[in-house]
Amino acid sequence: MVFDEIFDVIVIGGGHAGCEAASAAARLGANTALLTLNLDLIGQMSCNPAIGGIGKGHLVREMDALGGIMGRVIDRTGIQFRLLNRSRGPAVQAPRAQADRTLYRVEMRRTLEATPNLSLRQGLVTDLLVNGNRIVGVELQDARRLAAQAVIVATGTFLNGKIHTGRKTYAGGRTGEPASTELPQSLRRLGFPVGRLKTGTPPRLDGRTIDWDAFEPQPPDKDPVPFSFSTDQIEQDQLNCFLAYTNESLHNKIRDNLHESPLYSGAIQGIGPRYCPSIEDKVVKFPEKTRHQLFVEPEGFNTNEVYLNGLSTSLPAQLQQEIVNLIPGMDDAQIIRPGYAIEYDFVDPRELTPFLETARIKGLFLAGQINGTTGYEEAGCQGLIAGINAGLLTTGREPFRIHREESYIGVLIDDLITQGVDEPYRMFTSRSEHRLSLRHDNADERLGPKGRELGLIGDSEWERFSQRRDRLAKVRRLLASKKIRRTDPAFAHLREVTGQELGDSINLGQLALRPNITVSEITKLLAEDEKLHLQPRDFETALADCLYAGYLESQDQTSRRLRQHDALAIPETLAFKAVGSLSHEMVERLERVKPRNFGDARKIPGLTPAALSNLLVYLTAQQFRPLNS
Amino acid sequence: MSSTGDSIVALSTPPGRGGIGVIRVSGPDSLSALRRMTGDNSETEPQPNYMNLRAVVDPLNGETLDQALVCYFKAPHSFTGEDVVEFHCHGSPVLLRRIVDALLRLDVRLASPGEFSLRAVLNGRLQLTQAEAIRDLIDAQTDVAAQQATRQLSGEISHRLQPAKAQLLKMIVRLESSLEFVEDDLPQLEQSEIENRLAELRTDLRSLADTFVRGRLLHDGLKVAIVGRPNAGKSSLFNRLLGYERTIVTEVPGTTRDTISEAIGWDGIPITLIDTAGMRTTNDQVESLGVERTHRAAADADLLVVVVDGSQPLTDEDGSVLRNANGKRHVVAINKSDLPSFSSSEVAEKVSSGDAMSAVSVSALTEAGLTDLRAAMLKPFVNGNGATEGLMITNARHHDLLLRAIDALASSEALIRERASEEIILVGLHNALKFLGQVTGETTTEEILGQIFSTFCIGK
Repeated sequence: MVFDEIFDVIVIGGGHAGCEAASAAARLGANTALLTLNLDLIGQMSCNPAIGGIGKGHLVREMDALGGIMGRVIDRTGIQFRLLNRSRGPAVQAPRAQADRTLYRVEMRRTLEATPNLSLRQGLVTDLLVNGNRIVGVELQDARRLAAQAVIVATGTFLNGKIHTGRKTYAGGRTGEPASTELPQSLRRLGFPVGRLKTGTPPRLDGRTIDWDAFEPQPPDKDPVPFSFSTDQIEQDQLNCFLAYTNESLHNKIRDNLHESPLYSGAIQGIGPRYCPSIEDKVVKFPEKTRHQLFVEPEGFNTNEVYLNGLSTSLPAQLQQEIVNLIPGMDDAQIIRPGYAIEYDFVDPRELTPFLETARIKGLFLAGQINGTTGYEEAGCQGLIAGINAGLLTTGREPFRIHREESYIGVLIDDLITQGVDEPYRMFTSRSEHRLSLRHDNADERLGPKGRELGLIGDSEWERFSQRRDRLAKVRRLLASKKIRRTDPAFAHLREVTGQELGDSINLGQLALRPNITVSEITKLLAEDEKLHLQPRDFETALADCLYAGYLESQDQTSRRLRQHDALAIPETLAFKAVGSLSHEMVERLERVKPRNFGDARKIPGLTPAALSNLLVYLTAQQFRPLNS
Repeated sequence: MSSTGDSIVALSTPPGRGGIGVIRVSGPDSLSALRRMTGDNSETEPQPNYMNLRAVVDPLNGETLDQALVCYFKAPHSFTGEDVVEFHCHGSPVLLRRIVDALLRLDVRLASPGEFSLRAVLNGRLQLTQAEAIRDLIDAQTDVAAQQATRQLSGEISHRLQPAKAQLLKMIVRLESSLEFVEDDLPQLEQSEIENRLAELRTDLRSLADTFVRGRLLHDGLKVAIVGRPNAGKSSLFNRLLGYERTIVTEVPGTTRDTISEAIGWDGIPITLIDTAGMRTTNDQVESLGVERTHRAAADADLLVVVVDGSQPLTDEDGSVLRNANGKRHVVAINKSDLPSFSSSEVAEKVSSGDAMSAVSVSALTEAGLTDLRAAMLKPFVNGNGATEGLMITNARHHDLLLRAIDALASSEALIRERASEEIILVGLHNALKFLGQVTGETTTEEILGQIFSTFCIGK
């Protein structure tokens, strides 16, 4: 085969997965090309201009600790930072930021252009070139052929994308951009099982036509918490967002016009995310709610465009306009881009290995929405892992696996490849069995050394990491060694605050577990010289360790007890009928999922404890059979 | 794999009465269990593979339960490949139960069927065995598991636990959604409401768990021993309770020389009624053998019926029988109410200083009071209306899991009172759900999320 250009790694798609993938592969030393339909739209946020949130913010921090780029880019382009769940424990707090949509995109392209070994190319991929079961390159619409040992498909919603507004439908990958129709055929030809998912987006408004006084402002944090461990503080100005509400007359308008919605007319077949419902869904499924909350979000510093978060809809554009005008304060608001729903192809992620390589085609990786996920953060972290592994593969190194015990990224990948998806997959902290240990603030300790080992953490960041590690060690020692005694003047006050007996003396770490003890309460107990080099973020991290130490054991012990046989492998060839003592229904459930080990089987909904114990016994016996034959 | 984490206990000899009963513990906590059960505070590790005679005590109250031969097998040189200890005890089922119960209060849980063998296989200890032998073992386990499956699938317990589980899930959903969807417009959580609901839930689970002792007795059948001094009328009463003449009744004290047992069913409860030799010191060799058996039968029984002769003043022998019955579940039958010299007052007074559940006047001759006696005997095991309770826990594993779920809920309640953050409170709730899930089937994260999305309107 004759090729126009030869690369080690080709990344198809310049969205959030593609950017991370290309950056990681290139920095691992692979000669990498990022192919996109439009070079001006690299790093485009197709939906809400925001990064982070509970679970998602954790993912960004983990990516950053491993050497990803999303955290740094948002830190430079965020217009409103907030740490969510401040009133709760540190394990469930997470940063979130509104982005300046344009600046984010520009900064992402700048970051990629500054990356050695990385070439940007504009073009539409029409075919995957395969030799036997190994990828060898891609073919473009303009007949160019590019060679690569590894190809990462990160095409988002573009595969057979179909946009709906009202009864009108048309092909498109995103509003204003064409869909990719030939690449999905190529994937089907290679034998990949392909399904349909759906997502949606709300209308964008002209900010000059909104009466801002009608809405309650939602101010940014005074002390914004950055996403990247390498960011000291957020430099740029911060803006307000605003809260708005729908009302009954708006709901009635929607109810009267449901037949116009492709969701309810049957035009949309794909399954949408339950946690990101359209306003039509909200009104229909929760008729008792008299109002739904909306967020009025500026799109950036240099634009009047406003994002009406919470009003995702696929109603006809004219109807969207009428509905928006029913919100008090938006009586004269003008829609400048209507909302829409989009259906797209995804590949069953059970086709993937933990390295995000397909088991079917060597060197072919899939990342992002193509694997059935939703969200920039979910896409980005898959891009990072796929990029790392493509880079490792093409530079002749062992693949990198990230585990669910150590990261949300690991949870996401494990869930995808073992359970598949039946709706767009989003991260929640409850998806992890180790929620208390997977905190956003300790992502660096969990994953930093791995990022360094991979070669994605540069010398200056590693120096930062080492310094923080040393400081943390010091703070932890202080918390363990410093005791408050009965004779201490603060003792009586602490007893009163906690409402508990504290014994004759208590160290700061134990004190942190007691009721009503806040970080500031503990800080007050430190001597001036102890406070001298204390950085608040280190202190919070060390205190969080104390807070959860006791529960980690309880959480882990139970999980360990329940999961002690999880690693037991299930042979691919096993016919579950052969297990015996399994009801027809249980066999069917097992056959459908085809679990790879006992742990996967345990997660199958509807499998009874008895069925599992039968399977366990059978697998145990199987393990020893080869010894005897 | 050298260890599978937790420690398990089971009776390794067949259930029922035997010369000895062997209780086996396997897992990392075995040695500490052995130390606590034998009051061993020494620094040195006991020598492995040697039998030692030790007093087995209940760590809860220091009460001596038995004199037993104990043995420690150090990992990996044991049947399961883990640390194992064995208690070779006297073969009384009641005694063995008490020892197992005491072990369960330590960090040990009841083994699932076949779990010792399973551990042995997992740890490679059965590796060298012939293939056929392993397959037999596995097949046997599968049979047990299959039996359990049918029992559990159609399981009343699972059914009974569904509302509790649903309630628990509802609370998890409330707390989880308040954590995950902080920006959504969700109804506010009342701390006290959650606390109250948890307490209700725990009480409900507790009442189910509490049926275990009775449930187990009902499941295994009640052993009722009729005891008393010679010629108090035990055998007559035995025959009356049976409904036919099973034993020879004479005026000669000491006629019954051996224990005689008969199975009957009252209100669907299987009962083994045991007539015993009269308790007295005797020089007659045969009779003294019988007396010894009586003592053993009394020790094994779930319920004693102490028969005294109400027509005569209480003898020293009566006093001794009554004293011996204290600490055991027992009913006093004041016999011979047909005789003119009968008086129940002396016995009633004597009994009031002990812990008998009731004293009933009865005549084995005329059958007067027999219905009352029967009711008094069944009372501890049935509801007021005489019917057995709707559902009782009979499976020790279920009981163990319920207790663990209750503990987990209690820890969450305490944390709510301390105003701990939701993610910490949720640890106990999720643990409780997992324990209940071991009985009713696991609840997956997807199901929890599903319930969140169907309960609350979430998402921008």
